[in-house]
Amino acid sequence: MNFIEINDVVKRYSGHTALDGVSLTVPQGCIYGLLGPNGAGKTTLIRIINRITHQDSGDVLLDGRPIVDEDVTRIGYLPEERGLYKKMKVGEQIVYLARLKGMPKSVAVKEMNDWLERFELTEWRDKKLEALSKGMQQKVQFIATVIHRPQLLIFDEPFSGFDPVNSEQLKREILRLRDGGSTILFSTHNMESVEAICEQITLINHSKVVLQGNVAQIRQNYKKNIIAVSLAGDETLPQCDGMFTVMDDKPVGASGEYIKLNDGVTVREAVSWLNQNCNLTGFSEVLPSMNEIFIETVTSKQ
Amino acid sequence: MNKLKLIIAREYLEMVKRKSFIVITLLMPLLVLLVGGIPVLISQLNGGGETKDVIVIDETGKYAAALADNDTYHFVALRGDTVTDARAFYEKTDGSSEAMIVIPRDIDSTAVVNIYSEGTINLSLREYVAGRLSDTISQARIASYNIPELKSIIDKANVDVTINSVKWSDDGSESESSTEMAMIIGMIFSMFIYMFVLMYGAMIMNGVVEEKTNRIVEVIVSSCKPFQLMMGKIIGVGLVGLTQFAVWVLVIGAVVLAMGGVSSVGVDAGASEDMMAMIMSQVASVNYLPIISWFVLYFIGGYLLYAALFAAFGSAVDQASDASQFTSPIIIIMIVALYAGMGCIDNPNGPMAVWCSMIPFTSPIVMMIRVPYDVPAWQMVASLALLYATAAGIVWVAARIYRTGILMYGKKHTIKDIFKWIKQ
Repeated sequence: MNFIEINDVVKRYSGHTALDGVSLTVPQGCIYGLLGPNGAGKTTLIRIINRITHQDSGDVLLDGRPIVDEDVTRIGYLPEERGLYKKMKVGEQIVYLARLKGMPKSVAVKEMNDWLERFELTEWRDKKLEALSKGMQQKVQFIATVIHRPQLLIFDEPFSGFDPVNSEQLKREILRLRDGGSTILFSTHNMESVEAICEQITLINHSKVVLQGNVAQIRQNYKKNIIAVSLAGDETLPQCDGMFTVMDDKPVGASGEYIKLNDGVTVREAVSWLNQNCNLTGFSEVLPSMNEIFIETVTSKQ
Repeated sequence: MNKLKLIIAREYLEMVKRKSFIVITLLMPLLVLLVGGIPVLISQLNGGGETKDVIVIDETGKYAAALADNDTYHFVALRGDTVTDARAFYEKTDGSSEAMIVIPRDIDSTAVVNIYSEGTINLSLREYVAGRLSDTISQARIASYNIPELKSIIDKANVDVTINSVKWSDDGSESESSTEMAMIIGMIFSMFIYMFVLMYGAMIMNGVVEEKTNRIVEVIVSSCKPFQLMMGKIIGVGLVGLTQFAVWVLVIGAVVLAMGGVSSVGVDAGASEDMMAMIMSQVASVNYLPIISWFVLYFIGGYLLYAALFAAFGSAVDQASDASQFTSPIIIIMIVALYAGMGCIDNPNGPMAVWCSMIPFTSPIVMMIRVPYDVPAWQMVASLALLYATAAGIVWVAARIYRTGILMYGKKHTIKDIFKWIKQ
């Protein structure tokens, strides 16, 4: 069951095309990554889903039906450029934003208290926002995004501005929301977080979809037959020009050697050759990181 | 609709709860009363002060008696012959007197008197001396013609016309009206519209810019329509202004009434109290209901028109300081309207008055000044219709600028860009 379906959406601004025939589907309960360099059109797509702007052509379906203005109450949106009223008290601010999303006041107050407790912010409830540290403000913003129990959560660079401890807490909360049935659309440059929590991605570049699919599958598709090999003791890897080449550039801090199999050589053949010719202790296939795939895809299409 | 109410409530409460708002709302009437009350206070202080000695040297020997003592001055008449050296004469006294007046022998023909003093000569002393001597000398001159009954003839010939303005109501009854007071009240309302539009217009603009630079605007418009946010702000801030206005009227009204009550049973009914009582009766004679009704109508229309412009301009800039290129034309129009209004006082039904009270950008200010002069009904209706139609149009255009502008960061926008947004 797909929660969001975007079919062939086009959006033009005077002078340039922000989205050019973009299609994607986000299954219910999925954590979906929306990737792309700056200016690729991610924010425009997110704004279209949020009903802030409207597409020139194409369809956006939410839960199987064309999206309408009232659907914004089912969406929680954390924009990349965060912002709240600096002079407003934390509690009043969260309740106000929850009520704007259609939540009754009494429910909003109760939820707000629960969330503040979970983030250890209860004592700050009646303080003005400007009195809080940057990290605490980010947490308040997160609460304001999720308090009305939206079925769809849209996070634009959610981890920017968080320290590692808070990032971890945020990640846990996001997974908890997913387990609670929410569908999550992520827009980010942080490829480590994509590998860690996204199940599927769409990569947009120059207003077009250039890569789409399951994260594990994409990494399989982009693998370059590189294998990390470690040998017993201080044994060195023998050369075998017919089968593989030893790579000079390997990730910083990686132990052992990296070899690249020649075309046509299977992993099976390589293992048996190495087993015969040296004292093999470790052998693992290296999948490309999403970071590498991102850079390769974006630069090759330019 | 519900969201609009929420936004209005937030805008209203956030502003009304601010300390600066509470302070200004309470201090302003006090300030006005203080400024109005200081002259009265000062005159009372002066009246209660010590009397000062003034030396009078009367070379004629006829006029010293004309300078009777008053509350402030005690005149000490010294018989003197021709004073050749006033300074030397003064130095022979003990020096405690405030000033020395020399009435020369030939005053009947020259009508010139010298007042000497070591300090600045008080205006009230000059006026008092000039007034008393003028009267006495003209009496003496009249007497010098030796024409019998001349004094009474002149007294009869002197005419002082008093104007009694009587207004006919539609039902045929007559009532004393005070056009001056109605005009002053019209001007006060007109000034109020001017101040209010500029002050609260700037507040709206700053609010929009603040939301934009805070980046909260993207969060809000993912929950409601930009139009709701804009109108919520305009209405909320407008209600704040009306609240402030109501507080001012209540406080000033209460204090003025209280003062009026005190002065009518005042212990010593001096000239200032008489004046006060007259002003009070004039203030009370004005028919407020139509003036206030027109004020509310013009206020709402004018405020909507300008507030929408301010909101649109706020959305088109990144910082309030960048907005001056858009706001200075508004301020110039407002100032022109104010001067046009002042000009209308002389000729409230002249062509300039009529035209400026039709043009929606100036009509709220100019018409408030014309209202006391019985403007034809068709002009009121036409002017209001034009004002509201234009305000609606401006709100529509502003909404289109606003919804695009609030999401455009980091670039200065020209008028040309803004026209593009309207067409989008």
